[in-house]
Amino acid sequence: MINALSRYTILFTLTLLVLALLSFSLIYMFPGDPLINLTGLVPQNDIQREALIKQFKLDQPYPIQFYHYLQQLFSGNWGYSFISGESLRDEIGIAMPATFELSTYAMVIAVIIGVPVGCYAGLRSYTASDYAINTASIFSYSFPVFWLALIFILFFSLDAGMVPLSGRISLLFEVPNKTGFILIDILLAEDINHSLALKDAIKHLILPTITIGLISTAAMIRITRRSVIDVVNSPYITAARSRGLSKRQIFMRHILRNALLPILPLMAIQVTTLITNAMIVETLFSWPGIGNWLINAINQRDYPALRIGMLAVSTMVITLTILIDFFNRLIDPSREKFERGTI
Amino acid sequence: MAQFSLYQEEFHPSPWQKTWREFRSSHIASLGLMILLFFLVFSLFAPIIAPYDPLQQNVNALFIPPSWNVNGTISHLFGTDALGRDLFSRIVYGCRVTLGSSILLVLVAMVVGVTIGTIAGMLEGVRSSVINHLLDALMAIPTLLIAIIIVAVLGTGLVNSMWAITLALTPQFVHHTRSFVRTEMKKEYVLASKLDGANHLQLFFYSILPNMIEMLVVQGTIALSIAVIDISALGFLNLGARPPVPELGAMLADGMDVAYVAPWTVALPGLTIFLIVLAINVVGDGLRSALRKRLTQ
Repeated sequence: MINALSRYTILFTLTLLVLALLSFSLIYMFPGDPLINLTGLVPQNDIQREALIKQFKLDQPYPIQFYHYLQQLFSGNWGYSFISGESLRDEIGIAMPATFELSTYAMVIAVIIGVPVGCYAGLRSYTASDYAINTASIFSYSFPVFWLALIFILFFSLDAGMVPLSGRISLLFEVPNKTGFILIDILLAEDINHSLALKDAIKHLILPTITIGLISTAAMIRITRRSVIDVVNSPYITAARSRGLSKRQIFMRHILRNALLPILPLMAIQVTTLITNAMIVETLFSWPGIGNWLINAINQRDYPALRIGMLAVSTMVITLTILIDFFNRLIDPSREKFERGTI
Repeated sequence: MAQFSLYQEEFHPSPWQKTWREFRSSHIASLGLMILLFFLVFSLFAPIIAPYDPLQQNVNALFIPPSWNVNGTISHLFGTDALGRDLFSRIVYGCRVTLGSSILLVLVAMVVGVTIGTIAGMLEGVRSSVINHLLDALMAIPTLLIAIIIVAVLGTGLVNSMWAITLALTPQFVHHTRSFVRTEMKKEYVLASKLDGANHLQLFFYSILPNMIEMLVVQGTIALSIAVIDISALGFLNLGARPPVPELGAMLADGMDVAYVAPWTVALPGLTIFLIVLAINVVGDGLRSALRKRLTQ
């Protein structure tokens, strides 16, 4: 346990260090002035420029620069956006939770719908209902997420007018940004009509969440189904059946637990897909998340923002992945090193 | 449990033939393969099939609806877009750009991934573990992010987006190759070759690679479906192929401005991407279940 913990801690630190090094090297790889790429501040004259270079230690050798860069990162001086002039830390503090919120809801949908349906299909493998579920999942798994989002917008927003087109909440509601999660913020906010605001926010949420959730659910169904089929065919299920256990008992005690184990590491892979999909869908729904923010940054060639955005997103994804892997290792110590399963 | 598996006939089908038989016995998988071959023919013979030049603009034929519409004409099968370009020709060429570049980049990722993975699998101890863990971390970075960084450094373009996706796809090949090589290295037939004096290179090419090809094909189909989706997504976000290039995702983004006037300019390229990905996924699924059936026989 302690061994595993230290292994994962070292892995985590090393990976973050590599990422930090990568984002540091981006200062020099991006076109333009390294000073502007690092700070986002445009010096007005030579004297100011000299001072800034001194202040950010850009005249020192690279290792010292990198050390200084790490210090700056830890102390929260992430630089300023080249375009808006805002502190990047504040901007990411708003954009990141929005994406996280969207992905969380989509993941919750995927788990709540995907796992039971996958179990059902796996238990009735190679019957008509299994084929139907399998076909439906392979269909929705193949949708390009941006096209799906467009179709949904066309049908539900423009034609039917059931849900709003873009954004997180109607501008009529003034919700202060506390946690970054819109639903929690609404509950924390004062002097607004909570039920109306919640209703509005959910109307905004539902389309992007379903778009991302549909694809993740399909993946979840496929993973669960495969895993259940593998477990059902194993000798200990035959043994349990021969002992006269009821179907329900076999499923609850033997199948479910063993089938859920290999799902976790696959979920770690799904996290990456999920966040990529969330980032693409955000641009279509004008969701003020990190994907939308990054696409805007690249369109305006906002290099300081790109550098920090890359670091922030990859840190989030890698933290999640390593946490899931570690958790998996904890509940299943027989798994020596993490192996990836198959769908 | 040891079981005798006697084969009654004189002729012994090779593993490949057995897999192919299993694959063909599934109608859905065969249909998927046919659709995929259809798109492959499209992309290979695009100049012969396409009735018009995909870039040729025609002011006299703006927004002609598809031929099944009342106002459509048969001379433009799928209608025309906002600049009067023939949509069918553009889609045929789009298959070439999207599917062709995806196949190309999957092959590159496969070769690089297998090379690194084999080296990592044959090495032991710390070096192998470092490669493994670092690549695991790399695998977690979303393609979109890598693409954004590459676009920022090198500029937009189809080739740059291809590099980004190749970079994102390579780690999974490394991963699978590495674990495969690891398990195979412990088996007796490799030991036998070793005792015969085979060096690492011979061991790989004569003993391990023939056994690995099936795994590579299955992984390749998974990677291909990801590549098609990613390359069109990058085109759609204006990070990949630039608009005049008939790339399916970029065409979709083009059509988005006129989606209300001419919904077919959005519907048809999207449908094409969907069908390509669906066909690849169905074929991959069929291959996997065929392999599974063969191995459990």
